[in-house]
Amino acid sequence: MSKMQSLGSNNTLTGYAFIAPFAILLLVFNFYVFFSGFLTSLSDAQGINTGSFIGFQNFVDLLYADSAASADFWQAVRTTLVYTLGCLLTQVPAAFILAFVLNHIPFPRLKVVFRTAFFVPVLINTVVIALLFRMFFNTDNGIINWLMGMVGLPNSTEWLLDSSYAIPLLVVVSFWQWTGFHMVYFLSQLQTIDPSIYEAAKIDGASPLTVIFRITLPIMRPAITFVVITSTIGCIQMFDLVFILFPNAQYGPGGVAKTLIAYIYDQGFSQQFRIGFASAIGWLTFMLIVGLSFIQLKFFGLGQHDEI
Amino acid sequence: MKSEPTPTTQTSENITPGRPGMSWLRKVGIALLTVLALVYLYPLLWMFDSSFRPAIEIFQVPPKLFTGPPWETLSSYSLSSFMAALTKWDVGWSFFISIMVTLSGIVLTLLVCSLCAYAFAFLEFPGKQAAFMTILGSMMLPLMTMIVPYYKVLSTIGLTNNLLGIILPYSASAFGVFLLRQYYIKIPKALLESAQIDGCRHLRTWWHIILPTSKPALAALAIVQFRLIWNDFLVPMIVLRDESLFTLPIKIQLMDSQNFSKPYDVIIASGFITALIPLVFFLFFQRQFIEGLTGGLKE
Repeated sequence: MSKMQSLGSNNTLTGYAFIAPFAILLLVFNFYVFFSGFLTSLSDAQGINTGSFIGFQNFVDLLYADSAASADFWQAVRTTLVYTLGCLLTQVPAAFILAFVLNHIPFPRLKVVFRTAFFVPVLINTVVIALLFRMFFNTDNGIINWLMGMVGLPNSTEWLLDSSYAIPLLVVVSFWQWTGFHMVYFLSQLQTIDPSIYEAAKIDGASPLTVIFRITLPIMRPAITFVVITSTIGCIQMFDLVFILFPNAQYGPGGVAKTLIAYIYDQGFSQQFRIGFASAIGWLTFMLIVGLSFIQLKFFGLGQHDEI
Repeated sequence: MKSEPTPTTQTSENITPGRPGMSWLRKVGIALLTVLALVYLYPLLWMFDSSFRPAIEIFQVPPKLFTGPPWETLSSYSLSSFMAALTKWDVGWSFFISIMVTLSGIVLTLLVCSLCAYAFAFLEFPGKQAAFMTILGSMMLPLMTMIVPYYKVLSTIGLTNNLLGIILPYSASAFGVFLLRQYYIKIPKALLESAQIDGCRHLRTWWHIILPTSKPALAALAIVQFRLIWNDFLVPMIVLRDESLFTLPIKIQLMDSQNFSKPYDVIIASGFITALIPLVFFLFFQRQFIEGLTGGLKE
């Protein structure tokens, strides 16, 4: 801190002026949005009608009331959580294994080629990805059914029309899109591990599995924590994929794959413009994200992730 | 690949606790990875291939590309999907809008965030620590959950159906302030003090010294913002109403929402254009991409 003072200490005004543009934008487009969303969630605002104050009625309707709204809400929570869990369980281990394998490739050029190959899907717009996979999973002329037929499996599965496949499809497409992204992060962290640690373990006669479980994984815990938490936050906010992947913006057959953000979009923008109600769903989703992040931090050991 | 790994690869040799007879395993592993990588890239290859084909060939299984030697399967290539995209759907204009929105979003982000990071790195003022922690904390706010009040705020200040509505909000990147501040506090003091003696004020120091010296960090932030703004979907979809303001993803969604005779050939060609820009940037600025994306938060 002492080196900071050498630039002179009387620059309070300059300091405020320099952070002002950022602070104003952050206040208006972040903090005020959350605050105003909370106020709106306490009203029955609809369309341009600002509505009247109804206390926590929207929240009660969503959480407790034995109504269609409550059933829809819990269905959306369930869909979102199943999707999130599916993503975590597939992407994180796969990304870790890929990073581990790539880290062992002794040819730097080849390593970069593989890293690039697995990374590029994350650069592609989700709308484009969802459209591509909708075509691939087409029953009659999609490549997936064609490939299944080639290897002698049933080749007329109605992937996009059978409700039991809806969430697995989302998990598959997200896997393709995000695994390489996590892999790159893991890889960058693996490369920071000091080789002398492995050297020491080798001298002590540790087996490869012991090395992975006793050395690599503990060292990687902050990175894994980071990926798990940011993925969870990202997955719960998923919208683009489910909106485009299934035909006619129906969120899967009978809307089975309607995620929380999709539910908000439906209520707030495309059906009856129930702004107050949709804001309440938004706040509940926000609380869900906060709660899950907190639990995950606890689970992975709070304070162990200083590097993040 | 016949020879043993060279001495420079000793680290990796050591990491795989040590059996010399592992090289066959490594060869199999690399072969498997190659197959996996090709499968992984197939969707993009298919999109590339399909955007040059007439509509009837796009949904052919097995894919036309695999049905014969290249001189036969590639003979139907043409630019007609791209021409239709330009003439019937005005995709060229959407492309221009996307470019302008992304560029101005990036420039604004860099200016706003670096000015703010300068204050946190070099200036002393009351409340500095608290303000910095607040900004860091805001990185965790999941804005998608507030999409409805977000729209309401935009409409209150008149930014709906306005490109500013999809540019301004992104420029306050908390991650950007964090990234740049980390970079600034490592800048040698001598550089700044000489500027002070010369009588430059802080604004000039920022513009003439800090911005030029922090190009790598600015590039990393620019790339993070580029990916974010270029690929943005939900916000532009709700904010923009006039078709003349549609960015590429929204234009694609519009084509896809046609109930009768969806122009799949045009959709794929437009998707190809949308995907191509970040891919090209990535190939040129791979290092900055990785730095920006691993330097902190995802989105």
